[in-house]
Amino acid sequence: MHAAGRRTGDPSPYGGRSAASVRPPPALPRRGSVGRRVVSGLFWVGLVVAVLPWWLDTPAGSLAGTADVLTAAGRVTGLIAGYLLLVQVLMMSRLGVLERGVGGERLSRVHRDLGATLLVAVLAHLSLLVVGYARTQDNSVTAEVGVLLRDFDDMVSAFVAAGILVLVGGTGIRAVRRALPYELWYHLHLTSYLVLLLGFGHQFSNGAQLFPPGPVRTGWIAGYLLVAAALLWGRLVAPLLLNLRHRLRVADVVAESPDTISIYLTGRRLHQLDLLGGQYLRWRFLTRGCWWQSHPFSLSAAANGRWLRLTVKVVGRHTGDLRDLDPGTRVWVEGPSGTFTAAHRTRDLALLIAGGSGIGPLRAMLEELPPGAALIYRARTPADVLLHHELDWLAQARQTSVWYVIGSRDDPGPRQVMSPDGLRQLVPDLIRRDVYLCGPEGLVESSVRALRQAGVPRRQIHLAPFEL
Amino acid sequence: MRRALLAITGLAAGTTALVVLKGAPGASQVAQELPAGVPVGTPGRTDPAAPGVASERAAAPTRPAGRPDATASRTPGAGRTTTGGGTGTRSTPAAPRTSTAAPKSTNRKITGPVVVTEFGNVQVQITVSGSRIVNAVALELPQGGQSDLRSNRVDDAYSGTSGTVVRQQDANLDTVSQATATSNGYRQSLQAALDQVR
Repeated sequence: MHAAGRRTGDPSPYGGRSAASVRPPPALPRRGSVGRRVVSGLFWVGLVVAVLPWWLDTPAGSLAGTADVLTAAGRVTGLIAGYLLLVQVLMMSRLGVLERGVGGERLSRVHRDLGATLLVAVLAHLSLLVVGYARTQDNSVTAEVGVLLRDFDDMVSAFVAAGILVLVGGTGIRAVRRALPYELWYHLHLTSYLVLLLGFGHQFSNGAQLFPPGPVRTGWIAGYLLVAAALLWGRLVAPLLLNLRHRLRVADVVAESPDTISIYLTGRRLHQLDLLGGQYLRWRFLTRGCWWQSHPFSLSAAANGRWLRLTVKVVGRHTGDLRDLDPGTRVWVEGPSGTFTAAHRTRDLALLIAGGSGIGPLRAMLEELPPGAALIYRARTPADVLLHHELDWLAQARQTSVWYVIGSRDDPGPRQVMSPDGLRQLVPDLIRRDVYLCGPEGLVESSVRALRQAGVPRRQIHLAPFEL
Repeated sequence: MRRALLAITGLAAGTTALVVLKGAPGASQVAQELPAGVPVGTPGRTDPAAPGVASERAAAPTRPAGRPDATASRTPGAGRTTTGGGTGTRSTPAAPRTSTAAPKSTNRKITGPVVVTEFGNVQVQITVSGSRIVNAVALELPQGGQSDLRSNRVDDAYSGTSGTVVRQQDANLDTVSQATATSNGYRQSLQAALDQVR
């Protein structure tokens, strides 16, 4: 049981092409990563547009002397910081276009990296302008800070905003974040909305490019309004509409293995739910002890118009509580999110690599991929194999080759299969396939390395939205 | 983490590049193609005596060497843009804007003195951003009866972010008809406020 146990494959009665008497439903059309490219293009255009007013307002050769140069750099960084702040908030607005076009997981990654950049931009803006002004006025730096706070409109709130940003940025550092309880971290992070509010005034009362009435000022204010509208829509209105329309309830909780459960949900008008296999929703189970936390879980079956299902490994207190959910429990959902779907593939054929309970989203996706996909399912023991009846059925219906690779990661069998050569042997046309990975961090990392060595281009490798 | 470092490096490099591009004499074509009326800073701030449009040209000699041909070709172009602004700047000798040395973008409020007219007191406060007047407010105007009417007329014409003061950028305002005394008082207080800016 420790070797690579090949349970089904091409010639087998389960997965063989000859057994395709069941007509598979049409596969999802291929979209690739168009959405992401468009959004990142818009980001760069926006950045240029944000700095353009400064460029147009500043005559060439007008920056004579250190003070001028410092002030100019301060203004540029200020415009960039103002723009990045809006982008940061927009990325967290849960707007459907972004969540499904770029992917919630990618958004939060970019949010973290851009957050660091924003912090640096704000600090640079602040210090460059203080020093620049101090030099212009022949003041000391501390005296200039005093002048700014006393004589300039909205500067006190601007300094407070910068302080909050430093605080929030500090808690974003991975080590600090790990040390803080999640709830505290989350609520600290919420105060960053205050930055938006407190930093607003000084841009318009003191900003060289934004003060004079005109298209620049109007455009900048419009940007703020748009972001506020996106926030309102994505965080409030859209979830409200979604839940009012579908009114999801728990229908049943089923044990799949000793430590894995499947939660079945029903609701109204589920056929109207625009949901792709592999996407996730944020679930809030409205029972005592659970209602105040919202967790992302992928669906483990494609949308079928009658029920939804998530398959969850019981690892913590919250997932433990889910085991005891009563049928009829109301559920509040937000989403769907994610680009880990069949629609985002770049090629026609796919290879799916699952580890443990990572099979859930891949199982859902399998229904929407074109026939001819391949699935490699890593599990420690045969008992850890989940949903295998369904997989066998799918293998037949969708002409999918399924390999179960059983054993611990150090066993020779799995090691051989998961090596570049082993993968190539199993799936000879590997480099012409999209590869979807979902499973524990270690498996995903080593598989990506092997795939890259085998020559699979990076853009054909899709990683699941979260680690399991 | 690597991405964040990359982005921060990009931020630093981008800002430096922008400032250097603008700082180099005659480097940019874009600035010359400024639409009329866009507030052009005061490049001639090294030469506080030069008033109005002259500042644009006066700035050229004070700048260290640079490339002479580039400077020469740029200066007339920039000068034309500024004068083309029409309402933007006027080469009145009294124009105060070039005299404010600080290139501050930030707002300062300057209050003129109370000027006593035959109908009542007039006091003007202006808001200055950098060297540009961006707002004018009458803190005090003659009140009561006919005075209200006159004061309103003067206030409507001169004050506000789009009033004559902001458009003209100086105290050389046309008198509002049938409100000569109030107009004069306004002008005096405004001129004194402008003198304070200096």
